[in-house]
Amino acid sequence: MSGIATTFFELFADNLAERAGKVFVIDPDRSYTYGEVAAEADRIALWLTDTGVRPGDRVIIQLRKHMREVAAMLAVARVGGTIVNINAALTGEQLRFIAEDAGARALILESAATLMTGRDSAVLLADSSEWQTLSTGTGQAPIATLDTQLAAIIYTSGSTGSPKGVMLSHRNILAGARSVARYLGLRDDDRLLSVLPYSFDYGLNQLTTTMLLGAAVIHQPIAMASEVVRAMRTHGATGLAAVPPLFIQLVRLLEAAPARLPALRRVTNSGGAIPDTILRAMPQVFPGADIVLMYGLTEAFRSTYLCPSKFSAKMGSIGRAIPGAEVYLVKPGGGLACPGEEGELVHRGPLVSLGYWKRPHATLEKIRPCPELASLIGDEPVVYSGDVVRMDADGDLWFVGRNDALIKTSGYRVSPDEVEELVHRSALVTDVVAFGVADEMLGQCIHIAVTLLPGATRAALMDRCRTTMPAYMVPRAIHVWPESMPRTPSGKLARPDVVQACETAPLHTLAADAVSEQRRKSRGA
Amino acid sequence: MALSEALLMQNVRQLSGLDGDATTDTPLFSTGTLDSLAMLTLIAFIEERSGMEIRADEVTLENFDTVNRILRFAQGRTA
Repeated sequence: MSGIATTFFELFADNLAERAGKVFVIDPDRSYTYGEVAAEADRIALWLTDTGVRPGDRVIIQLRKHMREVAAMLAVARVGGTIVNINAALTGEQLRFIAEDAGARALILESAATLMTGRDSAVLLADSSEWQTLSTGTGQAPIATLDTQLAAIIYTSGSTGSPKGVMLSHRNILAGARSVARYLGLRDDDRLLSVLPYSFDYGLNQLTTTMLLGAAVIHQPIAMASEVVRAMRTHGATGLAAVPPLFIQLVRLLEAAPARLPALRRVTNSGGAIPDTILRAMPQVFPGADIVLMYGLTEAFRSTYLCPSKFSAKMGSIGRAIPGAEVYLVKPGGGLACPGEEGELVHRGPLVSLGYWKRPHATLEKIRPCPELASLIGDEPVVYSGDVVRMDADGDLWFVGRNDALIKTSGYRVSPDEVEELVHRSALVTDVVAFGVADEMLGQCIHIAVTLLPGATRAALMDRCRTTMPAYMVPRAIHVWPESMPRTPSGKLARPDVVQACETAPLHTLAADAVSEQRRKSRGA
Repeated sequence: MALSEALLMQNVRQLSGLDGDATTDTPLFSTGTLDSLAMLTLIAFIEERSGMEIRADEVTLENFDTVNRILRFAQGRTA
């Protein structure tokens, strides 16, 4: 237990006195004790110090899910640095952007394949002999750090057209671990299956709750249902955190080939709504396990959950505020929503992040005092989620949609600006409008409407998207607009007109690709 | 419609952002190149092109981790 920890590193290190020999990380090929991970973290910490990393410096980590990744994060925390863990699915171009934006002093990467050129940052590669021969750490005392200090930056897509770094303090991370551990009832004999990346707040929270309780985390680097089930059985997983696309596959697999998972105590979902047909099947394929539907946004880490005892009555609800946080709904015209009404979810409490790295204006838009709450909390800043939510008669919350143009696809928040910027860089179009289309499996999928330059083709543009965008951002369909797009009197693209035309007039629609067709068919079946 | 190597490779590139060095033996899932969403999309694509229905319990690393394995699996099923 790390009940008195105040920093990310203490959350881990407080286990060493009494459970250095207890298993902490279970990789597919072997497991590692708290003590063994500490030794590896010390080795990396020494490299960081020798390399010139000082307290406050940002260090990028892009590693496969492995003990090394955990040790690297702990090493950065140990020397007082700021962890910038990057999703392995990001393209080299995005990695370069983030390294530049964060002003990274050092990078710890899987291999040279993702290596950028032209930066003078220090680089440590997981597949290198340098890593193999890292010196044993000196055991110097970890750098003392305030709990209000920046601990990690989580990069997320944002409405400014480029990924934005959300700044989390040690206090944010610890408050998140304590809250989630409390409502999930986690214990020191838990073994949580981690398949989601630690670059994602929900995935990171599995690691921090594990450390808080001195429990164990099972690493499953492959997001394939058959492999996830195998790892759960082999290692006796007591908890599983997944996102809707993975639950869809897990439920289909377990319906086709039921597997006994007697150790399983709970499964949790976040990152979007699970389709109803899948939700209804979950109690049968996970018998005896609690099903916990959760909601959170990176800017406030975690926000709400549906108490599992209400699952059968309220399937699909996101429930209520988590322990240690408050949420309110602000109605469109002002005022707070009452039961039966809807409004934008705002989040108050110790999980409210420090805002966006180097983007004070974006921070002030997102995290600001709420006039509706002034009589309760004065001008304490709260997070405006941008999510419209309805409160039912009992006070439980239901996700309705976004109040802005952000597209929510399979747990990723994608801004149309970001997609459009990348499409423009192809130099194949004159006009482009990106928008979300409802999709049962993904929540929304991304479509773009484009006016092509002479000689440019839809196929060439799709090729370009594939190489410059991460998979989740690649459009499912490209609507080719036959002429210049309509504009408003002020000369801006008439976006709503373009989107509406694409949604209603198949005339403009070059058939959505075969995959979406197939998905529609399989849904009907 | 048949599931050709070129088509499959093209689809995999589309889903993954893999670069020009990727081959039909490049591991897709065991390296974390494709996530769960990409897998769902890839399975739907293979079903559409090959006309076969893939059972959830057939989606294993043995059958799906490389383009070559997927082609071998598809041939085995349709043979």
